[in-house]
Amino acid sequence: MENFAPLMHGFGVALTTYHVALMIVGVLLGILVGVLPGLGAPNGVSLLLPLTFTMDPVSAIILLSSMYWGALFGGSTTSILFNIPGEPSSAATTFDGYPMAKQGKAAEALTLAFLSAGFGALVGVILITVLSGWVANFALRFSSPEYFAVYFLAFASFVGLGAASPFKTVVSMGLGFAFAAVGMDTISGGLRLTYGFNELLSGISFLIAVIGLFGIGELLVTMEEGLRFDGVRARVTPRDVIRTIATMPRYWIALLRSSIIGCWMGITPGGPTAASFMSYAFAKRLSRRKDHFGQGEPEGVVAPETADHAAGSSAILPMIALGVPGSATAAVMMGGLMIWGLNPGPMLFIERPDFVWGLIASMYLGNIVAVLVVLTTIPIFASILRIPFAIIGPVIVVVCFIGAYTVAGRPFDLWLALAFGVAGYVFKKLDYPIAPLVLAMVLGDKAEDAFRQSMIMSKGSLSIFWSNGLVGTLITLGMLLALWPVLASAAARLLRTKSSSAAA
Amino acid sequence: MISRFSAEIATATATAGLGLAAVVGSLEYGVGWGSAGPEPGTFPFYIGLLVMAASVATLGETVVGRAALQTVLVDRVQAKRVVTFFGPMVLFVVFSLFLGLYVASALYLTFVMWLQGGYRFAISATAGLAAAVFFYFVLEMGFQVPLLKGPLEAALGLY
Repeated sequence: MENFAPLMHGFGVALTTYHVALMIVGVLLGILVGVLPGLGAPNGVSLLLPLTFTMDPVSAIILLSSMYWGALFGGSTTSILFNIPGEPSSAATTFDGYPMAKQGKAAEALTLAFLSAGFGALVGVILITVLSGWVANFALRFSSPEYFAVYFLAFASFVGLGAASPFKTVVSMGLGFAFAAVGMDTISGGLRLTYGFNELLSGISFLIAVIGLFGIGELLVTMEEGLRFDGVRARVTPRDVIRTIATMPRYWIALLRSSIIGCWMGITPGGPTAASFMSYAFAKRLSRRKDHFGQGEPEGVVAPETADHAAGSSAILPMIALGVPGSATAAVMMGGLMIWGLNPGPMLFIERPDFVWGLIASMYLGNIVAVLVVLTTIPIFASILRIPFAIIGPVIVVVCFIGAYTVAGRPFDLWLALAFGVAGYVFKKLDYPIAPLVLAMVLGDKAEDAFRQSMIMSKGSLSIFWSNGLVGTLITLGMLLALWPVLASAAARLLRTKSSSAAA
Repeated sequence: MISRFSAEIATATATAGLGLAAVVGSLEYGVGWGSAGPEPGTFPFYIGLLVMAASVATLGETVVGRAALQTVLVDRVQAKRVVTFFGPMVLFVVFSLFLGLYVASALYLTFVMWLQGGYRFAISATAGLAAAVFFYFVLEMGFQVPLLKGPLEAALGLY
């Protein structure tokens, strides 16, 4: 295994007292944002990011990625105990997790969720270890047209595979690109789209957008429902853990299948939410105990949790190897990398192997730390939700606006965060997807640069995107995906007319 | 109170407007072929057109499916909850700009807890003040990240 030596070196980087302490802090903060409604992984990472600007990039990414693992675990906890997904991606866990908790099997459900989540994450990280070097090597051959094709493919798959209306996905994505274009033009160095406002000269930060869309927008949605938390009390004892570990092998098919679904959805920008729902649906369809699903079936907890975490961790692979994040949180982290002065993509493996392998090694350790921390601290975090929302809600508001200000120290950003908050609320109510907007804001400049450089190379001819087999395949695949909703409905109509004429 | 149909129409119109703004804004910077390849306005110009087209398509989808969209999106009770949460938030931002984030946070938390949460004033004020002091120590001392400050900090000599 050619990646073994650098990985060992990575463990050397990650296994210092300071970094392990950072992992614990990150996981604890992550569980906190995961448990609190309105604060999720993308938003939590955005809030913490400005505080890491002065840190060493390796330490910073360890802190942020640990927060991500923690948030994923925290989200599952509220799903099981309160029937409220703390994270959108743990919504599928409520189907069987909450019924289990109500039947007095809360400890079993939690342990099962955490262990299968840990398993899923481990599979994701192993996949990254094995594939990342290979993908990066492959991507070293990429030049501008290939990069543009990869970006195009990523966005096309949102349109083609997303659950939302394809038009709404395009609107959300296009707005992200438009916001990214405001301010400095990275190629000519000139300013554009500032409409005479000095405040827009330095552009619109994607961090402000995430804080507004995910944080404030989600809080407004939560408030509207007038949330009451009626949770199930739970304590996890070592005996519960051991007894549950003994039952784990029973679910090996579900674990493997869900890991594969999760890894696939994580590498392609399907994301953890889609992965967990898909995995649940598969488990339900294929299980012999179909009728028990929705009434507290353990496999109904194992399947979505494994896929959720497998997707969450494998989303890091395209981010570091190609510079294309596989989820909204990965997009925020990638934005962070660029702010720290690192260039995500294949060159990162050559320029900063300590960073890449330190991150990968920290993913192994971080997930182990996360499982241990989450198992021991769950009662404390569950009790946070017993604090009335009249206190928690406004505190989250204050944290969001303080976070928005720390991004660049600009008062104008407070208004921007408020505006994005309103937009987030409306988008959520009307089923506009938010992740494409965030991804477009992070990738906007890179995608535009790749496009313009390709155009310069070809002197303005679009044929460069079919100039060799690789780029042609990527672009054609992207177009098929983007047009997939249209093609699918046309095919369905064709079939229907055929069958109706046959009947006539 | 607000039907899904009217909300869809309003949102799609607004996104079309944003697309138009991008198109109009980029025309100023050239949308053709310059001496150094595509001019700076080209990419946002076509993105703006794309947003407009997709917004119009969403409008079309909405009008075609209007029968199914005559549902209540936000009822009176929900609207009241959102407004009572959002209103103080706007005031918080306004106060932050004049008084700084620390003072505004303390005031906001105090009044929201007191007037909306039903806590006694003394408890609310203590909690608000404690939160502001906590944020001060964590951010300014712990992470050395300065926040927006106002006249009170200036009077106390805190920078």
